[in-house]
Amino acid sequence: MSVLAMSGHTEVTPHSFGLAVRQTVAMAKRSTLEIFRQPALVAPSMIFPIFFAALGASSFEKTTNLPGFPKVDSFLQFSIAATVVQGVLFGSVTGAAALATDIQNGFFDRLLLSPTTRTGILIGRLAGSAIFGALQAAFFIAVLWPFGGKIESGFIGIAIMVVSGGIVALAIGALMSSVAIRTGSAEAVQGAFPLLFVLLFFSSAFFPRETMTGAYRKIADFNPISHLVEGMRELVLSGYTTSALMKAILIPTAVCIAAILFAQTELRRRLAAK
Amino acid sequence: MNQTIRSSRAMMIRGLLTIRRLPSAFFPSLAMPVFTMIAFAGTYFAITKIPGFPTDRSVNWFLPLGISFGSAFSGIGMGFSTIRDIETGFYDRLRMSPTSRLSLITGPLFTAWIRSLMLCAFVIPFGIALGARFTGGLLGILALVAASLGISTISLGWGLGLAYRFRDMRGAAVMQLTMFIVLYLSTAQMPLPLLQGWLHAVARVNPVTNILRLAREGLVNTTSPDYLSWNNTWGGLLAIVIMATLTLIFAGRGLRTLDK
Repeated sequence: MSVLAMSGHTEVTPHSFGLAVRQTVAMAKRSTLEIFRQPALVAPSMIFPIFFAALGASSFEKTTNLPGFPKVDSFLQFSIAATVVQGVLFGSVTGAAALATDIQNGFFDRLLLSPTTRTGILIGRLAGSAIFGALQAAFFIAVLWPFGGKIESGFIGIAIMVVSGGIVALAIGALMSSVAIRTGSAEAVQGAFPLLFVLLFFSSAFFPRETMTGAYRKIADFNPISHLVEGMRELVLSGYTTSALMKAILIPTAVCIAAILFAQTELRRRLAAK
Repeated sequence: MNQTIRSSRAMMIRGLLTIRRLPSAFFPSLAMPVFTMIAFAGTYFAITKIPGFPTDRSVNWFLPLGISFGSAFSGIGMGFSTIRDIETGFYDRLRMSPTSRLSLITGPLFTAWIRSLMLCAFVIPFGIALGARFTGGLLGILALVAASLGISTISLGWGLGLAYRFRDMRGAAVMQLTMFIVLYLSTAQMPLPLLQGWLHAVARVNPVTNILRLAREGLVNTTSPDYLSWNNTWGGLLAIVIMATLTLIFAGRGLRTLDK
């Protein structure tokens, strides 16, 4: 008998919907606690972006006068958005790697056999990453602010960046979860990590697009990370604007919806193969 | 002595065979320098417009950085292999064999050098294809290769020393992290006169700054004070000799603790 058949499917009623929400919350709690119980796993994604921000501030301060560079108080202020996105991207891999570990040690199969919603299993697993992503965004802003990383849009901007950090973590976590579900290997998830690194570097995260040329500029133009970072950067440098809000929230939301649908497809494929 | 050379050669051949048998472990050390060079040169293309920047091509500036990262990981890669051998127990068999202890270090050292040369042979033409120009000609290429071999020697000593002390994969993370930080806390991204604040103070005393100056001296503009000259060479060579000696002593002492 297949796992799908054993776990059973019930019609969605208000009662079952409430139950699904409670199940998702329970699994979200588990995934969140798991992240905070393993500080050694998440510490690099907190420390390295700050290290790079400090390094960039000392290395590239003189570049802020270059033609095409936006008006900034300091290079550190310019790099806040990149620091947030970089940290959240790297941190969100942890949740997917934990999902792969669940698959490897058989816990995921036990979850599938229990009378739980499929979406709840997935969202519950990713919720930890989303909460961690939002906390990371708040942490980076709090650490960099005293050193000249002022956010011109004030509290609204910070709130948008924190929410955006959570959505980005959810989106990337869902994408990486697809890898985890397809391969069932934590190593494969870690192996896919350099792709994020490439995506981040071939964008305008670390330097303005206006200063780039040729093929590199074209790639950065198409890269959604460029637009996401630029949305956040607009909140940092120019204050609140609707376009900044759209870029910082809508881009990761669109990626997130597509990634969750893809992860669910992968999950259905895995169940059908069992 | 002959036996040491023979054993070192055998160890070196074993290390090189690993490249063929486990290409997934070697491939990143080739891909990473190319990625570093392309990503940095593309992202920071505009920094060459800053007055006082020693070259007008960003790829000229970042090609040596890519090779330096790759060479560092060539040496560290041998540290990873040693950890794997220690964990599987194969290293105990090597230590019990009637061969000189020295070859357990010189063998991997030769492998790291060959890996570095392979790296240079791959990345330099790639860089030239992307627009890099050796203003110092053949001597400039030699300076870059010398710096690459020096960095791989330093990282090998460091990698082996940590492998002998940690004896498990925890050591691998420490190797990568420390080399990464030491390389970054130098003139990796910008020339010394253009650095500011704390990084300027750190990079000024970091010996890797001298090694990077050696690596780049054949790629900067001929009018730059950092252009190919003995003054820009000896500091790098001295830094390599001192750091390599210290890290190889660290490895040798680590091997003795493994024996105990």
